[in-house]
Amino acid sequence: MEGALIADRIQFAFTIMFHYLFPIGTMGLAPFIAFYTVKGVRRHDERAIAIARFWAKIFTINFAIGVVTGIPMEFQFGTNWAGFSARAGSVVGQTLAMEGVYAFFIESVFLGVFLYGRRRVSPTFYAFSAVAVWAGSWLSGFFIVATNAWMQHPVGYTIAKDGTIELRSVGAVLLSPFAWWQWAHVMTGALLAGAFVVAGVGAYWLLSRRHLEIAQRIVRAGVIVGICASVVAIFPTGDRNGAFVTRDQPAKLAAMEGLFNPERDAPLAIFGMPDTQHDVLIDPFYLPDLLSFLAYGDFRANVNGLSSYPRDERPPVELTYYAYHVMVGLGTIFLGIMALGVLLLFLHRLFEMRWMLWILMLAMPFPYVANEAGWMVTEVGRQPWIVYGLLRTTAGPSPNVVAGETIFTTIGFAGMYFLLGVLFLLLILREIARGPES
Amino acid sequence: MNVAAFVLLAAMLAAYVLLDGYDLGVGAVHLLFSRTDRGRAAAFAAIHPFWNGNEVFLIASGAALFALFPKAYAAAFSGFYLPLIIVLWLLMVRGMSIELRGHFESELWRGFWDVAFCIASALLAFVLGLAMGNLVRGVPFNGSGYFQGTFAFLLNGYALAVGALALLALSMHGAAFLWMRVDDELRESARRLTRFLWPLVAVAFIGVTAATVIAHPITGHPGLWIAPIAALVALASVAFAKKVALALAGSSVFLLALMASAAQTLFPHLLPAFPSGTGLDIYNAAPNAYSVGTAFTAALIGVSAALIYGTIAALRMMRAK
Repeated sequence: MEGALIADRIQFAFTIMFHYLFPIGTMGLAPFIAFYTVKGVRRHDERAIAIARFWAKIFTINFAIGVVTGIPMEFQFGTNWAGFSARAGSVVGQTLAMEGVYAFFIESVFLGVFLYGRRRVSPTFYAFSAVAVWAGSWLSGFFIVATNAWMQHPVGYTIAKDGTIELRSVGAVLLSPFAWWQWAHVMTGALLAGAFVVAGVGAYWLLSRRHLEIAQRIVRAGVIVGICASVVAIFPTGDRNGAFVTRDQPAKLAAMEGLFNPERDAPLAIFGMPDTQHDVLIDPFYLPDLLSFLAYGDFRANVNGLSSYPRDERPPVELTYYAYHVMVGLGTIFLGIMALGVLLLFLHRLFEMRWMLWILMLAMPFPYVANEAGWMVTEVGRQPWIVYGLLRTTAGPSPNVVAGETIFTTIGFAGMYFLLGVLFLLLILREIARGPES
Repeated sequence: MNVAAFVLLAAMLAAYVLLDGYDLGVGAVHLLFSRTDRGRAAAFAAIHPFWNGNEVFLIASGAALFALFPKAYAAAFSGFYLPLIIVLWLLMVRGMSIELRGHFESELWRGFWDVAFCIASALLAFVLGLAMGNLVRGVPFNGSGYFQGTFAFLLNGYALAVGALALLALSMHGAAFLWMRVDDELRESARRLTRFLWPLVAVAFIGVTAATVIAHPITGHPGLWIAPIAALVALASVAFAKKVALALAGSSVFLLALMASAAQTLFPHLLPAFPSGTGLDIYNAAPNAYSVGTAFTAALIGVSAALIYGTIAALRMMRAK
């Protein structure tokens, strides 16, 4: 059974991390598409329409791969995690079904109108459909995050006689503050990635001296949205998520910060490598007292360390710690890049500063890394629970699926996703090389 | 409430079969439909705007099963492990072929995706039928409410026959859809294909229905005969249709009647036990009433709303055509 659990976890981790690359693209680009379409329709601005249609092409490729890699995610709850589904499906099935019947239908119907209806529907309905695609993609994100937030911090449930977790209040699940702040943070992360992609592609066109006017417009938009998103990612959304983790998942907090023993005036580790043999950080660089302040708003506060919790209730330290530090480190760098970009924009120097355009272009992949790292903190840090405090991950797998089957299908997914990844890059790079329709 | 939930689930699955059915069918007949690049491109163009939206019904139906009857979802998906994963891979290959074929002018590139599209679509139609056949026949539950659906068990005569019926029926549906969506000599080709397929569908349907009725005699209300008879009438309308609208309506009603027959044979089970036993039904696979009620209400509102705005969007698209 142990082997099956590991195989199931590796498969889920691999397929979800690959899948999530594409929702980042759709949720991050949808607001830009909606903005440019509405602007283009209201001001009769053909160039804005061209920008929107260019990003819609990129969006569509992301959406198609997002759908075909998303179906396996839903299926896996049943195929590989039947134990979890049978015990918690009464709650998590609700939010997943809502994603299907609310968000997904809206997104696909109006994407159809947007892509094929330019000359068929009225301009107002055309603009409305662009906004509806945005709403659908963010709503989809909400239901998925609400599902995850419930697994992090279960609310609105009862335990039935046979031990299954059953829904008691759907309102409590959907209105959980944990879910709403997590959603805000996740959407901000996607928007930040979208802003970097928009600015980065614009920077590439400026550097290669093509589509100059459109390139300047999208670099400006990317940088302005980017500075807002990188601030909001840290405060208030990142901060609020940290507060919830501190309150509801203190063992995760200790793993994120690499804090092995409880400390008063706990310092914040900026750097250092956790040594879980001896329970210390190797080569640490600390900012004194800061962790106590960030966690409890008081420099003298006591922060529990990993040793405050039984061994079988601690998450794996290394992955949680590094994922968290990668996310926060990159987030800080993003703020720096975008602040510099905005500064140069206001000085009217941005479009001539080729080194800055190079930075913007090369920075494109990193928000994806930060988004994935953030989810790694959330999910690895949740261990050893599949539903925090209620159901252990060991109770999750399907009792009738063995490791050999899951390893076989994982190899199949790896081959299939490699192909998908290559084709995705091919198509995206071709669209970027072609540029917007003139 | 559990009965209503079963009906809603069956309706969502039927909607999936009706909608994704035609694009699967277009794929299954793809290589027969036309030998020219222009004809094959027209077949892709006919379904390109819709296939992704149609697949949403599969996701929504799966999620609705998850929410309404989590234990059935857990048992069925883990029990049919490998066939379902193969379905996923086929869906991916199909999605890739639809999205990618048109991107390069190369004959080799297009030929490759044509064949991939056809094989993946035909296999999907067949495997969906195979799953439906096994669902009606029942699965070998162990003591703890799970089963292992190995191919040795799943590839039985009855399920293979249902698989063949599904492949033929969806092919006919796809051909009728092409008949509506393409022009000129391609239209004639689609019409001929529809005409060629209906007798095969009729033979498969009568065989499968006979086998089903022998295994599960219709003992209850005589109204239970309505669905199989409606299927025959619908098939006749495909056979004698001069107008495409009648043929497409006929194949749609035929598929709905098929799904209704399967649902009434299954009811109240979701996953009967084979060869005997209790299995999972709409009562023992459901959580508390509040949970079922919430999922039912949410799905009903969501699907109804989607039908309304989907229709509005479709009408607005067509009005300006």
